Amino acid sequence: MLRPKHWTVHVDLSSGKVTREIVAEQTEQTLIGGSGVGWKLAAERLPAGVDPFAPDNLIIINPGLFVGTLTPGTPKTTVITKYPTFASEDGRFYVGASTCGGRFFGIALNQAGCQHLIISGKAPSPVYLRIRDDSIQLVDAEDLWGQGIQHVTNQLVRREGPETGTMVIGTAGENLVRNSLCIVDKFNSLGRGGIGAVMGSKNLKAIAVNGTRDIELARPLAYFDFAQELRKRVYAWPRREHWIKLGLAAGWDTFKHTQYPGIWAKDEWDELYGEKTRLETVEEVIACNSCIVSCRLKWQIKGGEFDGEIGFGSPFSKSATSGMLLGVKDFRKMIHLVADANANTGLDFYTTTRIIDFATLMYEMGNLSKEDTGGLELRRDYDTYHKLYDMMAKREGFGAVLADGWFRLKNEFDLDPQDYRYSGFCKGMDFIYDARPSNLHPLMMSFFTRPRPHHGGSHTRTNSRNKTLEEIREQVEAWGLPQKTIDRIFTETPYSGKFNVGRYTKHMEDMMRVKNSLGLCSIFSYQGLIFGNDLAQLYSAASGEDLTAGEMIQRGERISNLAKLINARDGFTRKDDRVPEIWFKPMDSPEGKIETRDYFNTKVIGKEDAEKILDDYYDERGWDVEHGIPTPEKLEALGLEAFSTDALVKTAG
Amino acid sequence: MIVNSVIILPSECRGCRSCQLACSFTRHGVFNPSKSVILMERDVETEHMAPVILPRSCDLCGGDPACVKACPYGAMLVSSAPSEYKILIKE
Repeated sequence: MLRPKHWTVHVDLSSGKVTREIVAEQTEQTLIGGSGVGWKLAAERLPAGVDPFAPDNLIIINPGLFVGTLTPGTPKTTVITKYPTFASEDGRFYVGASTCGGRFFGIALNQAGCQHLIISGKAPSPVYLRIRDDSIQLVDAEDLWGQGIQHVTNQLVRREGPETGTMVIGTAGENLVRNSLCIVDKFNSLGRGGIGAVMGSKNLKAIAVNGTRDIELARPLAYFDFAQELRKRVYAWPRREHWIKLGLAAGWDTFKHTQYPGIWAKDEWDELYGEKTRLETVEEVIACNSCIVSCRLKWQIKGGEFDGEIGFGSPFSKSATSGMLLGVKDFRKMIHLVADANANTGLDFYTTTRIIDFATLMYEMGNLSKEDTGGLELRRDYDTYHKLYDMMAKREGFGAVLADGWFRLKNEFDLDPQDYRYSGFCKGMDFIYDARPSNLHPLMMSFFTRPRPHHGGSHTRTNSRNKTLEEIREQVEAWGLPQKTIDRIFTETPYSGKFNVGRYTKHMEDMMRVKNSLGLCSIFSYQGLIFGNDLAQLYSAASGEDLTAGEMIQRGERISNLAKLINARDGFTRKDDRVPEIWFKPMDSPEGKIETRDYFNTKVIGKEDAEKILDDYYDERGWDVEHGIPTPEKLEALGLEAFSTDALVKTAG
Repeated sequence: MIVNSVIILPSECRGCRSCQLACSFTRHGVFNPSKSVILMERDVETEHMAPVILPRSCDLCGGDPACVKACPYGAMLVSSAPSEYKILIKE
């Protein structure tokens, strides 16, 4: 069979006009498909310099090519937009990608023939987008505006049918809170950094999708047989039983070391937020489509003021770190906030709790006054945090300042986010992990090398600290890299240790672009269950175009360069890929001094070491090391000359 | 005549839809849940899901049902006990 056809569907909310076009075969041959093609659409159609809240900003939604094909761990959808988080003091914004899983959303988009759904414009009044195969309509949503995510999801499923895929924003998105995200299929969060607010700016409350088309493959039998082989491999994974029991609640034994904020003793944290509390609270572990491991959670709070409250998503890790930072010892109170964020407001829990912690610290130190906060006393207690959380979601009083994020605090009150005590900060966003307890592994690095400072599904074998050099090498070899590249990665250096984190990160990010384009969940790559050569074999059967793992990751590299170019035209350079200051200030904890160390824990990494690692990252990319952007030679080698920065600026007019 | 039956254990289902995809592929050679003979029952309040087989359309794949083989969580089982052709739904 010929290569299956895929479609770009453009919905303009201002006019209600819908246009469809087939994706050119050559485009998929150079950029894989899924979000790889999505990045090209962004380069061609997203104007440089556009404000994230302007009607001209686009939301480009790309289900992975393998979503809905019975391949283990392939539910993911990637959304590209310009995010409204202030990424610099001078008010620039990055174009980035976020990914999510789901039981219905991605598969429904693929079945509706919406492999690339572009949303532009602004609806005159609140709407939701209803997609039923070729029938695409804007439906009045006045009755849903102002309602929480869970209520709206339930309404949409009742109206549209039980297998409807949903992407819904909460009240924070409506109120243009710059960190707000949206929730897909009730269990999966998408787009910290502000996709929720971008949808809110367009008067778009939700998307509800159903599709009935076949998901086409060039060689279905070959594809099916290999997907079955992969399923058998995952069934044989020794840790599967543990995952099935706890989902994302598993892993406390690692987590309590790698994501330790250093305020309480670990034993106390264990008692307050450890595995016992998780086992008490988990009700069900839910799978995304085609997943044979499952990680999403339904939980129920037992006892206390929120007794009986049910939540959906993944509450434990984020509540444990934020609970320690805020000094809230009752884990149920923190989980209640996660449940509310997922079910009602759509506030990003990480940024929300950390910016509240930062403001409270600054208030305690006298750097923020009662006058600054509009008369509100920032006390270190749960009721005050809850009040601030509500004020942020509603943009009330001082909550409106926090809703604008870290750089508003910097510009208005001269409070430097680089001084925040935990996680690290880059391009307007706090990271989900801190390199001091975690060690400087490649995922940490991707937080500041990527256009959007979040991992974006980059996870590989190096996520956990306990992997051997052999296990890491085995994975890199399966990426299909040339031997001399592998040798460079595994050459010991005085600044990075036994493998070169900068050089590794480049290829890890390219592999992430491949995985996101195909829809593979990163759990399967970091647990060593599905490798690059497996994806190449699946892709060959799916597309009918035989290619090797090495050719596949080259396409990932092309996508990485395209993503960087789009941001370079808005002025993003190495100055923005700033290594966080806090990582070089030792964390004084009850467990002793914790410093940023190399992956194998053999030495302390200083700021100069980190800069050398960053030099190596750009060098490995073949970019201008001083400025951190692609060179003309690199663009020519990748066939991206047409997208050079000047050309993009010209295109944008 | 001895014919296998499919027994569904709704409490074990995690909603991954592997059964639907395996069914459509076995019957039609394509991945398409709407061409399978399995509907997903979804309680939208609790988000619990469970497969429901359309009995008139299901031929148990000739006695070796693809949905049962594809279920990762033991929510679908084959019963080899002698019985009339039927699909039992067991709570």
